[in-house]
Amino acid sequence: MGPRRGRALRRRLSATIIAGAFLLPNFLGFVIFTFGPVVFSLAASFTNWNLMKTVPLQWVGLDNFLKLMQSPDFHRYFVNTAYLMLGLPVAIAGSLLLAVILSQPLRGVVVYRTLFYLPSFTSGVALFILWKALYNPEFGPINQVLETLFDWAGLTSVKAPTWLTSTQNPLALAVEYAGFSPDQFGLGARDAIIIMGIWTAVGGGNLLLYLAGISNIPQDLYEAAEMDGAGACSKFRHVTWPQLAPTTFFIVVMSFIGGLQGGFEQARVMTLGGPAGTTTTLSYYIYVKAFEEFQIGYASAIAWILFIIIFAVTLLNWRFGSRYVNY
Amino acid sequence: MKYVFLSLFLVMSALSVAAWWWQPVAENDRIELVWCSDDNPMRREQIALFNQLYPQYRLKLDPQNSTMEKVIVQCLAGVGPDVFDCYSGFQLTAFVRSGIALDSTEALLQRGVDPSAVWPCLRPLVTLDGREYGHPDNAHAPAMWFNKAIFDEAGEPYPPNDWTWTEFIEIAQRLTKRDSRGRPVRFGFIGYWDWQSALAQWGANIYTSEGTRSVLDEPKACQAVQFMQDLIYKHKVMPTPTEEAAMSGSGGWGAGAQGGGIIDLFGAGRGAMAIGGRWWLCLLRNETYSKLRLGAVELPRGPSRRVFGGGRSTLVNAKSHNIEGALCFLEYLHSQPWNDLINEQADALAPVKKYNYTEGFLYNPEHPEEDYNAVWRSALENAEPMQVSAYVNGQTVDRILVEQLDMVKANVKPATRAMRDAARKINEAIVEQLRLDPELREQYYAAVKRGARPAWDREEDAP
Repeated sequence: MGPRRGRALRRRLSATIIAGAFLLPNFLGFVIFTFGPVVFSLAASFTNWNLMKTVPLQWVGLDNFLKLMQSPDFHRYFVNTAYLMLGLPVAIAGSLLLAVILSQPLRGVVVYRTLFYLPSFTSGVALFILWKALYNPEFGPINQVLETLFDWAGLTSVKAPTWLTSTQNPLALAVEYAGFSPDQFGLGARDAIIIMGIWTAVGGGNLLLYLAGISNIPQDLYEAAEMDGAGACSKFRHVTWPQLAPTTFFIVVMSFIGGLQGGFEQARVMTLGGPAGTTTTLSYYIYVKAFEEFQIGYASAIAWILFIIIFAVTLLNWRFGSRYVNY
Repeated sequence: MKYVFLSLFLVMSALSVAAWWWQPVAENDRIELVWCSDDNPMRREQIALFNQLYPQYRLKLDPQNSTMEKVIVQCLAGVGPDVFDCYSGFQLTAFVRSGIALDSTEALLQRGVDPSAVWPCLRPLVTLDGREYGHPDNAHAPAMWFNKAIFDEAGEPYPPNDWTWTEFIEIAQRLTKRDSRGRPVRFGFIGYWDWQSALAQWGANIYTSEGTRSVLDEPKACQAVQFMQDLIYKHKVMPTPTEEAAMSGSGGWGAGAQGGGIIDLFGAGRGAMAIGGRWWLCLLRNETYSKLRLGAVELPRGPSRRVFGGGRSTLVNAKSHNIEGALCFLEYLHSQPWNDLINEQADALAPVKKYNYTEGFLYNPEHPEEDYNAVWRSALENAEPMQVSAYVNGQTVDRILVEQLDMVKANVKPATRAMRDAARKINEAIVEQLRLDPELREQYYAAVKRGARPAWDREEDAP
């Protein structure tokens, strides 16, 4: 080994050690606070682990999972979770529309961008309390506007929704079981949360991703389209939309994951999962089972079922969604 | 680049050392005790008095972690408080069965604390299987508040102490006021939808006396809950959930942790009568309500004269590093200074019975207008402990009941069906709990052998 090669080797070794040293705190944090608990919760899901000391810890195999599959509560809360995700397409479309508008050379565009992004860096709890006031059935501005509109249209018999206190929904989903019940047709707490979610999401991270995506579209594509006589709609359909396909795909995947994991904060702050459990989502149910009813094993099983659902949905997204990504 | 990182590392290290150097120094001659409880101005005075009476300790409040789940998780992790609150017999069972509540029977006796001196309805908050785990902080039983100004304005005589629910409905209907659009201006009755008081008054129970089966599906219980539903939809003297949300500034009941929203609404004259406790005075003595003229009478009589009473108790963390100090705190809760302070502050009633039978309790010279203190004492004399079952998780029961009662309250389900479903689900939860817990199962079968009704109807459903 020549002296030059030895020095190079030492330098590489030293660089590796330094890199490792810098990575180590993060790696240790990941192992201790993420990977370890994940493995631990997987093991816990096969046990009857309960915080009550009189319940002896036992390996129960797939019992928790089987019980979960037969639990009407799990089915109802899964339906709630899926229902709350109905707002995702609207939120994504809203972000895209807003991004297209905000990418135009408007005067004061930076101010607009900041204003639309405001909900994303405002505390969630503050927003939820604000929306609770907006949804006040008698004195909230939303119902005030609706009632004025109904009066103006002569629809005096139509009543504004009671929002957070109502179990109704446009799909007429039943309250106590995963099914339908015609008397539940209307607007209620779940819809109130969806509308609030759309408002928050439209100007949030998705808007930034779309803005970045639009700024990366080469201008010569638009110029070529203009030379071919394309109007604004054609340019959007044939240039912007296909060029944004990877961004949209990423946003859809992340939104599905976020949607399936979501609903906890809203339930905790605005409704406590009510009325009659209609805003209890799977993530809130995990909290209730683990920390209010102390069934850590069972709650871990719910968490893993939720992971499997998210994984399956993400795979489906990759399988079918990626067909629309052309490059 | 590495010099940048190195410099940053050195700066951070220097800042850490500086922060450590300038951290607030504990008073080294005083042992620090941590009490997990809710924060309010009353608590500050209560803590100051302890620190004055026991100068060797410095009691600190931790209001952020006072919920049961947080206390259990923190204590199990070894970072729990020294003393913490307990609000029900179910919570006591949970704290004891999770191994974090200290059995203080002998220690309390040595300190001259007589557990039988407290109000009988408080015993389930501190006693389990004949062992003592703490001491009650205060005592509460519900009575009926009324707003004298509203009664005077309507020319309605004040309600008597001996009245019936039928008379109550008639008065409440006369005092309910709506605007031209039918929107409520004032309700005859406002406040908690206190279905448990109705249950007590109708002579119904949540469980059998041994707690082995839920009996909410029995006719008396269904009638009691039906009565509560009728107050809203038939007699229209109480707000619907929508009207409640509309009247409350933040869009729902209970803006504060203990229902501050309702008290504020009552104080603002949005209701003529309300079921509540003496502790409401903690808020209603506030300058904001200086013009409010209050009265209180016992609850109207139903088929029975029962009420459920309760309160708050303090337990000791078995893993506390300051057991001695924590026991001093329990001793303090039994002492006259604490009990007098509770009565003076109106943080409900003193837990030790004898301190409520004084002139000072009946007539507080600082609040001569409060001429109704005997009502709260009388309510406590008739109070029974809140019903809990040792065989089922109280939080599971709460979840089941909240869901069913939400539907009754919103008029989407009749009371009879809701109570039948609630009883069935609670009984299923009992069976499930027995499957998990062999020790509990053994106790349960022993109770069944003694004649208690099991939670199942068919033998094949037994755990």
